[in-house]
Amino acid sequence: MKAAAFDYEAPASLEEALALLQARSDDAKILAGGQSLMPMLNMRLARPALIVDINRLPGLDYIRVADGQLRIGALARHTAVAKHPEVVRGWPVLAEAAAQIGHDAIRNRGTVAGSLAHSDPTAEHPAVLAALDGEVVARSAKGERTLKADELFLGYLTTALRADELLTEVRLPVLPPHTGSTFVEFAPRVGDFAVVGIAAAVTLGGDGAWQDVRLALTGVGGTPFRARQAESALKGTRPKAADIAAAAAQVAEAIEPDSDIKASARYRRQLARTLTERALTTAAERAAGQGGR
Amino acid sequence: MSAFAAIGKSARRVEGREKVTGTATYVADVHPRGAACARLVLSPYAHARIKSVDVSAALKVPGVIGAFSGKDIGGAEILAIDEVFFAGEAVAVVVGEDEAAAEDGADAVQVDYEPLPVVSDPIAAMKPDSPLTRASKGESHDDAGAHGAAVGGAGTGRPKPRNVNQMVEFQRGDLAKGFAEADVVLEDTYRIARVHQGYMETQGSVAERAPSGGFTVWTTTQAAFGARDATAKFLGIEAHEVNVIPTQVGGGFGGKFVLVEPLAAALARRVRRPVRVILDRTQDFLVSHPAPGAIIRMKMGARKDGTLTALEAELVFDSGCAPGAPVGIAALLLGGTYRCPNLDLVGYEVLTHQVDPGAYRAPGAPQGYYALECHMSRLADAVGMDPLEFRLKNAVKEGDIRPDGRPWTRIGLIECLEAARAHPMWRNRKKLGPDEGVGIAVGGWGGGTEPATGGCRVNPDGSLTVQVGSVDITGVNTTFALIAAEVFGLPVEKVQIATNDTDHAPYAGASGGSKTTYTVGAAVLAAAQEARTQVLEMAADRLEAAASDLDIADGRVFVKGAPNRGVTIGELARLANRFGSRYKPLHGQGRAAVHTASPGFAVQLCQAKVDRATGMPHLTGYVAVQDVGRALNPAEVIGQIRGGAVQGIGRALFEAMEHDEGGQLANATLADYAMPTSADIPDIDVVLVEVPSELGPFGAKGVGEPPAVPGAAAVVNAVEAAVGVRVLNVPIKPEAILNGLEEGGTR
Amino acid sequence: MAKEKTIRVKVNGAERRATVEVRRNLADFLREDLELTGTHLGCEHGVCGACTVLVDGEAVRSCLMLAVQAEGHEITTVEGLTTPDGDPGPLQQAFWDNHGMQCGFCTPGMICAAAALLRENPHPTAAEVRERLSGNLCRCTGYQDIVASVLAAAEGK
Ligand SMILES: Cc1cc2nc3c(=O)[nH]c(=O)nc-3n(C[C@H](O)[C@H](O)[C@H](O)COP(=O)(O)OP(=O)(O)OC[C@H]3O[C@@H](n4cnc5c(N)ncnc54)[C@H](O)[C@@H]3O)c2cc1C
Ligand code: FES
Ligand code: FES
Repeated sequence: MKAAAFDYEAPASLEEALALLQARSDDAKILAGGQSLMPMLNMRLARPALIVDINRLPGLDYIRVADGQLRIGALARHTAVAKHPEVVRGWPVLAEAAAQIGHDAIRNRGTVAGSLAHSDPTAEHPAVLAALDGEVVARSAKGERTLKADELFLGYLTTALRADELLTEVRLPVLPPHTGSTFVEFAPRVGDFAVVGIAAAVTLGGDGAWQDVRLALTGVGGTPFRARQAESALKGTRPKAADIAAAAAQVAEAIEPDSDIKASARYRRQLARTLTERALTTAAERAAGQGGR
Repeated sequence: MSAFAAIGKSARRVEGREKVTGTATYVADVHPRGAACARLVLSPYAHARIKSVDVSAALKVPGVIGAFSGKDIGGAEILAIDEVFFAGEAVAVVVGEDEAAAEDGADAVQVDYEPLPVVSDPIAAMKPDSPLTRASKGESHDDAGAHGAAVGGAGTGRPKPRNVNQMVEFQRGDLAKGFAEADVVLEDTYRIARVHQGYMETQGSVAERAPSGGFTVWTTTQAAFGARDATAKFLGIEAHEVNVIPTQVGGGFGGKFVLVEPLAAALARRVRRPVRVILDRTQDFLVSHPAPGAIIRMKMGARKDGTLTALEAELVFDSGCAPGAPVGIAALLLGGTYRCPNLDLVGYEVLTHQVDPGAYRAPGAPQGYYALECHMSRLADAVGMDPLEFRLKNAVKEGDIRPDGRPWTRIGLIECLEAARAHPMWRNRKKLGPDEGVGIAVGGWGGGTEPATGGCRVNPDGSLTVQVGSVDITGVNTTFALIAAEVFGLPVEKVQIATNDTDHAPYAGASGGSKTTYTVGAAVLAAAQEARTQVLEMAADRLEAAASDLDIADGRVFVKGAPNRGVTIGELARLANRFGSRYKPLHGQGRAAVHTASPGFAVQLCQAKVDRATGMPHLTGYVAVQDVGRALNPAEVIGQIRGGAVQGIGRALFEAMEHDEGGQLANATLADYAMPTSADIPDIDVVLVEVPSELGPFGAKGVGEPPAVPGAAAVVNAVEAAVGVRVLNVPIKPEAILNGLEEGGTR
Repeated sequence: MAKEKTIRVKVNGAERRATVEVRRNLADFLREDLELTGTHLGCEHGVCGACTVLVDGEAVRSCLMLAVQAEGHEITTVEGLTTPDGDPGPLQQAFWDNHGMQCGFCTPGMICAAAALLRENPHPTAAEVRERLSGNLCRCTGYQDIVASVLAAAEGK
């Protein structure tokens, strides 16, 4: 289990990195935290001719709030995100998602951007991006564009990122007051990839009714599933257990999961239902509680 | 109970320093000067004819030193030659300057296969139209046999289905009459998956040609002498021409007897350099010998008062592509744990296109007891009895006759059940909150025996060096130190243990089957006693007293009643080692051939709470009761029991080697083959029961196997106690529990 | 086509300089080039934790990092957690005294992970230790004595 041979560059500037990616777009691979790529290299499931290690790019490990957005640089690690006071306060769904990834040693290296670029169908972060209507910034030597979740994720381990593009930043909107959010998942063992997980953020209006509901699931298809029908069914009513249960049942109905060695499609539907119920209940409690978020 | 000086007090590991500082040597740490690395090429097909193996491209890869097919090496037992019989069977090997180069070369080997029909499921293999497996090869791995319990039974002329290599049968009484007498008859079929030993260190060996022309082999094995013999046999040389140096073993659990030792030596001969064959995790999953899965149909009858009247069982063990599945042991234990006048047990060892199984902690027992103990709890329910009382009523004791007609020796099953009954977890089990319950299960192991030798040298500094040829996989060396220390009344720090290579070691069998303390320990005890006698005799001469009037304490021999008249053990050794001395060196030899095993029983209680949303059971408490004869080193005995219990829990909750219909292993990584982590496991309360063995040193019995046996049934029974859902197949799929909750009934 | 690079890394307090193939992972570099074989490889895909080392004080899987990435960083392996004389350091001693290992294969990674945990949380509860060490598999002990070892070390026992 030793990697096949490759060339290695660790550019010291973003420009240099983008130039390398442009020149070698056919056979280069970006190395960020390495927590997904390194196992694939070791198992020879990936055999790039060139590794472009972005860990020496300066100033990309930031996590900050600017222009009404939470901005996360390409080198911000799961641990840093999970513990960042502003994230914990303002985006519990993200902090909780990051904290449920793997184990300490994985989270110390793995990046949010890398997780989105990798697009594992059971990863947490893609669901968070989808739920919050966030976007990512993709830079290449030719320029920059932003992509929303539904533009970014194309399928199993596939994104719209071009080979010469580097995902430089993840942007999540600042959540309005009286918003509660959470990430709930089921994995048989602590630290395993989720079988099914759900990112939820709900905003309650002054009348206590659902003003905004956002639900995105992971583990129920090749890309995160945004449960728009259930979201709109809830909006305008006041949180009630029966409605939550109905919304959860609707989610379970709407998804089209596959069966695999980890779980049958039927079980994934069952999980989607119970986890949605839990997530909505927690998020609504948080929204109603002090401080809102 | 007599007072012991060293025995029964917890001693920390004699080899602990090297393990905690990172200086212990495991096989992958052995790097003889100039060593090359080898990488296997494995078959992707579960059954295929090998049309050709072309290594020429591999030889052109930079850093590659040699590349060989099975024909080149000669010996289908390590590299397939004409046909492969399981996915993962090695067909070629490449040697390179380092691991990466060897792997580059292995990638370049071209093998042309003609796929042949595959049957990977034992039930399908028994059907008349199934493809045939390697039914005729007839060679088996002795690992399960080396674990020692009896296999056998007389035939009754039942037909032997297709692909069945061996059938075992045990009969007693009149089954039909037994069922007729029963008030309750319960029948069901249980499945327990094929699982891997899961040792953290993968298998590997390093071989070097010795100046004498023989071979030195460093290896991670439980059986140094066995590895030596197998290597010599493969190379066609004499056993004494191979010296096996056992390294630290990073977990064995029965899985590490002989695997790549012969290949490493053969390659060292071919490339004329030392060769390292270290398997990576995926290759280890594919080529090593796991524990077989089993399908067991149980039918039992009982009277309302809880008396068992009949037991019928049909055990199907998936033996992969070669014989060796421990179905006989399973049947014997399944039918021998509770008194039952009418028995009919039949076991089938079925050949399939899978790797053949090896030993894993009490081979056969976890499978047999899983079915038995699930069924016993359900039967107790059906007759309206408490599951523990029901077991107690029927449990065997010394003198009861096993299915093979032999009587049980001194066993502590009843004592274990009584200890479990007294435990707060059992007493309070009805006071738990919703969705939480306690399950109980029994497990046992017949024990094993094998002759062994040991040496005990008395050193001029007053210390002892104990020499053994057994490999320490469970802390036995620390136990040996305690035994020798006990004999001499010395502190355990005064004893060193030398695990020698096969050139220098006193003979010992494999470390496995819970027999190392029991048999090698007996040899060490005899050696230490002989050394003690020598010391006393020499001291008697020096002190001009009768040996029988002497005593030893604090490293000093003295005349009873006149403690001032004495001499230290160190002084005696110095004198005996001196130039021109008239005393012989102080060196005891001990030999032992205990050939009656001391079976050990365990009872485990599992407390589980089921998450109704996911179906997942979470363990909230666990109790492991075990008859250990005598706990020579309690802390290590407890550690063995906890580790074994967690392996049983792993079978219940997570572990299965998942094969698809084509016989491919779908989860050959540690990400996909899930084993319990620290967060999955509650504290395990260990209760030691001591029903001393008449034969083991100081009354000790083997303790390694029994704790790994009851776990699967204990967890499954706890789930039923918690939410009323009966699971039939392990590992438990939380999905099955969820469905059970939704629909009721059994799963 | 061995693509190589010369790197400078501080390992267990000492500057080390070596030329390595760029594809070599940190674990192999430590084990093969520096002969620090205390770092073990149990899976090489990031799951078992046996290869855990400290990089700038944080627990990291050395099988999931390239040696060249360690350039300029400080690595601590199990060998670096001893006393200056090479005797067991306090955490190592706690593992020894509390039966925190059996076969010992998981032990170096376990000790490194525990060192990182205690640095961040000097007085964890048993439940926290179980949770935070859950990325390190042990097949022998059933974990309880490992937890006890970490708690004992935290109490300075
Ligand atoms: C034992 C273990 C358990 C894990 N458990 C989980 C889990 O529960 N949930 C989960 O979500 N993940 C889990 N992971 C994966 C982990 O989250 C990874 O960190 C993440 O998936 C990838 O991030 P990375 O920074 O490590 O990316 P890398 O591994 O470096 O790269 C992954 C892929 O993304 C590309 N890439 C990386 N960064 C960029 C970028 N900035 N721009 C463009 N392309 C980029 C790479 O080229 C590569 O193709 C686990 C990993 C391990 C080893
Ligand atoms: S070897 Fe690195 S995690 Fe297993
Ligand atoms: S002590 Fe053997 S794996 Fe932990």
